[in-house]
Amino acid sequence: MKGTELKYEDLEGLFKGLLDKKAVDCLILPHKVGNNVAYMMATDKDRIEPPVPAIFAPSFSVNAANIVKGWTIPEKIGIVAKPCEIRAAVELIKLRQMDKESVLLISVDCSGTYKNQDYADHYGEIGDWVDSAKIEELKGKGIAIREACEICDNRFADVGDIGIARVDGEKVLVAGITDMGIEALSALELSLEDKEIERQEEKEKIAADAKKKEEELPKASSVEELEEFLRDCIVCKNCRDMCPVCYCKECFFDQPLGNPVGGDLLNLAELRGAIAVPANQLMYHLTRVYHVSTTCVGCGACEDACPKDIPLTRFYPVIAKKVQEIFEYVPGKDVEEPLPFVTYEEEELEDKLR
Amino acid sequence: MEKRERGILLEAEKFKENKGVKKEKMGEEAKGEFEPKIIGFTCNWCTYAGADLAGTSRKKYPPNVRLIRLMCSGRLDPMFVLKVLLNGADAVFIGGCHPGECHYIKGNFYARRRIAAIRTILKQFGLDNRVRAEWCSASEGDKFARIMKEMAEDIKKLGPNPMRGKIL
Repeated sequence: MKGTELKYEDLEGLFKGLLDKKAVDCLILPHKVGNNVAYMMATDKDRIEPPVPAIFAPSFSVNAANIVKGWTIPEKIGIVAKPCEIRAAVELIKLRQMDKESVLLISVDCSGTYKNQDYADHYGEIGDWVDSAKIEELKGKGIAIREACEICDNRFADVGDIGIARVDGEKVLVAGITDMGIEALSALELSLEDKEIERQEEKEKIAADAKKKEEELPKASSVEELEEFLRDCIVCKNCRDMCPVCYCKECFFDQPLGNPVGGDLLNLAELRGAIAVPANQLMYHLTRVYHVSTTCVGCGACEDACPKDIPLTRFYPVIAKKVQEIFEYVPGKDVEEPLPFVTYEEEELEDKLR
Repeated sequence: MEKRERGILLEAEKFKENKGVKKEKMGEEAKGEFEPKIIGFTCNWCTYAGADLAGTSRKKYPPNVRLIRLMCSGRLDPMFVLKVLLNGADAVFIGGCHPGECHYIKGNFYARRRIAAIRTILKQFGLDNRVRAEWCSASEGDKFARIMKEMAEDIKKLGPNPMRGKIL
């Protein structure tokens, strides 16, 4: 990795520089709104506010990749976001929803986030950023990070084109990960050196903790339990709309076959004798989990979006991870690696078929 | 708007026509032993021809399977599997050409990945043993009959699909 160490206050100049030197035409980044943070899209460099503490704030509102879903114009967009959001954007590039050349992905270290409403409510206690010790301390007070973050094992800024990692003290390491990232940083006349931060040990510890927590989560393990788990679902499809990798222009469940009304609904009821209404609740969730099974980055936006507070993190990311394991695929890790469903090996998976 | 309304009228007509057919179509169980209903998706070039061979060479196999012919196992959208199970069938059989022998060169390679994925999902809810994929060529009438026998026995042991009879 080629990078340079910067002070927190230098980051403002970095982002302004990206716009000024036309490395990007616009920039999506978080900014402070009262006690919380929200994303903004800036084209004028003078509108960039000091990015710290907003970019490190442990608050999750919308997955930033969602904002640029279907960015089919050639103008270049820069996204400053958490690793899960950047990984979702990488998946969207692979799904051809964005052009690789028209996005500059900048990932920022994350140590776990709170639902944005929880963050605003408890801003006094949580503060501008958290580390693992503080997360534990707050958990004791009944303020817990999102379940999706608890089971997340990709919290470091090592994805996308540029990574912004926090190092000790008031410093960050800004590093170019891809050629495009290095090029963008060089254009800013930063002195780039070969820099590595050794975090392998920490990474392994996080992964082990995450795995343990994932195993501890209660999960539906039979049809009866699944029925109970989804009992309150009203098929509003918010989980689909907020999911960064659920990208179809026209969803099957918006079409007459997936969303039957009138005579279609009556026929369905006649076929089965009795059906639940709204119809296709279980079909919707099982289909969706298959559709996102290889690309789900486990950001937990589905759970946040659910108006009925169904803990969907125990469903989508958990099941998707099982599917990703059989293909040994980590979504968003490498933009060149093909999606599991568009490639194959001649000899594989025979034990998974029967 | 008008078009939509006309659509509903047509659907209502269809409903009237189908009303009496339902019992037969859904195969209300005969009294006594549980007879599983298996839906089989077979590819046109291998497994369907294999089933044909089993028939023409008078191999006996249980009548529990209803075959649906696809041009290729790669045509199988895993949503078909979900829909079959949700509508109450007891098992799904998927048949395709042996890997490397696909009529369309690589259709069954893609199918294999999709089936592995959907089975992994169904495994979480204990439904994966109701889905079975096999490679069966046009000359393997014996194999087809054998698989059907095995499947009918396996599913009989497993019992009816837990989704059957549920209001889903």
